[in-house]
Amino acid sequence: MSLTQTSERARRRDYRIPLGILLFSVALAAPFIGSRYVVHALIIALVFMLPAHGLNLLVGYTGLLSLAQAAFFGIGAYTAGLLAIGYGTPFYVNAVVAGLAAGAVALPLGVPALRLRSTSFVMCTLGFVIIGQAIAKNWISVTRGDMGLSGIPKPYFELGPLSFTVGGTTGFYYLALAIGILATLAVFAVVRSPAGRNMVAIRENETLAESLGVPTWHYKLIVFMLSAVFAGVGGSLYAHYLTVVSPLTFQMYYSTTMLIIVLGGGAGMISGTIFGSLLFVGLTEALRITPELRMIAYGLCLLVLVFWFKQGFAPVINRVWNAIGGAK
Amino acid sequence: MVSTLIEQIVNGIVTGSVYAIVAVGMTMIFGVLRAINFAHGEYYMLGTFGAWFAIDYLGLSYEASIVVGILSTIVIAYVVGQLVMRRMVGAPAESGVLATLGIALVLQNTVILVFGGGYKFFSGGYIEPVSILGFSLAEQRVLILVVCLLVFIGLELMVTHSRMGKAMRAVSQNVECCEVVGIDVPQVVLRTFILGAALAALSGVLTAPVNVSVYGGMGELITFKTLPIIIMGGLGNVRGTFFAAMILGIAESLVATYVGLQYRDTVGFATLILMLMWRPHGLFSTQARF
Repeated sequence: MSLTQTSERARRRDYRIPLGILLFSVALAAPFIGSRYVVHALIIALVFMLPAHGLNLLVGYTGLLSLAQAAFFGIGAYTAGLLAIGYGTPFYVNAVVAGLAAGAVALPLGVPALRLRSTSFVMCTLGFVIIGQAIAKNWISVTRGDMGLSGIPKPYFELGPLSFTVGGTTGFYYLALAIGILATLAVFAVVRSPAGRNMVAIRENETLAESLGVPTWHYKLIVFMLSAVFAGVGGSLYAHYLTVVSPLTFQMYYSTTMLIIVLGGGAGMISGTIFGSLLFVGLTEALRITPELRMIAYGLCLLVLVFWFKQGFAPVINRVWNAIGGAK
Repeated sequence: MVSTLIEQIVNGIVTGSVYAIVAVGMTMIFGVLRAINFAHGEYYMLGTFGAWFAIDYLGLSYEASIVVGILSTIVIAYVVGQLVMRRMVGAPAESGVLATLGIALVLQNTVILVFGGGYKFFSGGYIEPVSILGFSLAEQRVLILVVCLLVFIGLELMVTHSRMGKAMRAVSQNVECCEVVGIDVPQVVLRTFILGAALAALSGVLTAPVNVSVYGGMGELITFKTLPIIIMGGLGNVRGTFFAAMILGIAESLVATYVGLQYRDTVGFATLILMLMWRPHGLFSTQARF
């Protein structure tokens, strides 16, 4: 029995590694293949992939449906923008501080919010976005109110004696790609660790997980903060790329976009989030679809996902991937 | 000083009436479906747009436009109810949130796509001031107050006396038992949903002359105002919703006068978060039901 299986395997070659390398080289070569606009669309997709990765940890692995991601995204964007304008700090400092700031804000917000369940938790997280927008509009001495922050400088690096500025679309694309890959590896490490298995246990049955000795409360709080850190780093990329941050960074539109990336790609799957951000943000941006039409498409997608494709579209992709790759 | 205060409270009560008519539909839908309808404000917007369309394009009078606004909303609500809301019976809370968010996105952006995203002027309504007890109040505001009272008296009677009201209460208590005794649960859900949407549209049409401007994003704002109200009132509690809406309306109008207009829209959500922390079962009930 086992012998026949081995021979079967031997005949079918596993193409997944070469295919992965091919896709990676396409990603590397994208600025030379695609037009400037396509590269712009890819950057936007990569920017949104970060908060979506965080949300995936929260929704997909721990089972907490949150709409607060836009609030942390906005906090990250404002932190990075203020640092870059006020102190002219290098990009990596901005990104790290933005992530930490978002994570630090998530702690006092998470403590009360995570005591709530299902719908109440969703509404509470929605409240964070609304209140965040009000603060960004009214704390004029810091955020400049409705005018927002403008003229955020291009990201620049200072590595010992070497200092350089990342200018132009191509340069920024590689920066976003590098951060995107780092973030994906970080999520991968979290998910594959024992902590990741505990998170899944909380998603599947919180009471049972707790009875087996998983400190569910700490896990939920840490994952909530971790998702905020991802959103904050994404926000710093956003601020540096668009060079403008306004109170409208705190809006439901962004939370919904991140949610649709995660659910549409397939919650609880890393490949799903990557695929989702390319499909729902990259493709719609590349096709220059108007925001209204895009939101209608998102809305219809949500309905289809809730009632028909509960797993998102990633399982379909995975099946194709395995079929091409030749795995059983 | 005192007269400003009283004026603001009266204004708050009018605003509260507007919220109350929208929120009561939302809370009744929660009662039968156990799902927060994040799209509820969109029916308010649809009603207003229906009336605006009737006045601006069809040249109808304001009275006729009320009927057009509500009827068009009922038709849309029927379609949404048949396609989506009926499927939500017994579904987990998360899918209710996601499905209604999806509906909100579709309805809001379809309207923006068809009519454009700009502000539109709503002409019509009774804006002549009348004097009551020394206060001058626009006729339209008096109308809103009267309609609000009539709606709540009507709903109270319906819920306690009519067959439909009894079925609604039964469904909100136990879905399985309703199926056993032969209550058509999806039918009750559909009817409650349409009733709620029609009430939201009624509120929208009545408020339009006061707000003057009509735009596609107005529904979302109302949804965010009514979410705290239905939590404060105790989910599924019709009478509690009425008082909660009044409290929030008055609080908003006082904050706008004495703290600053820009903080008005956060009162609701600040209240919501405080409510969820300390009294998630609402101000008017003693035990948590959900």
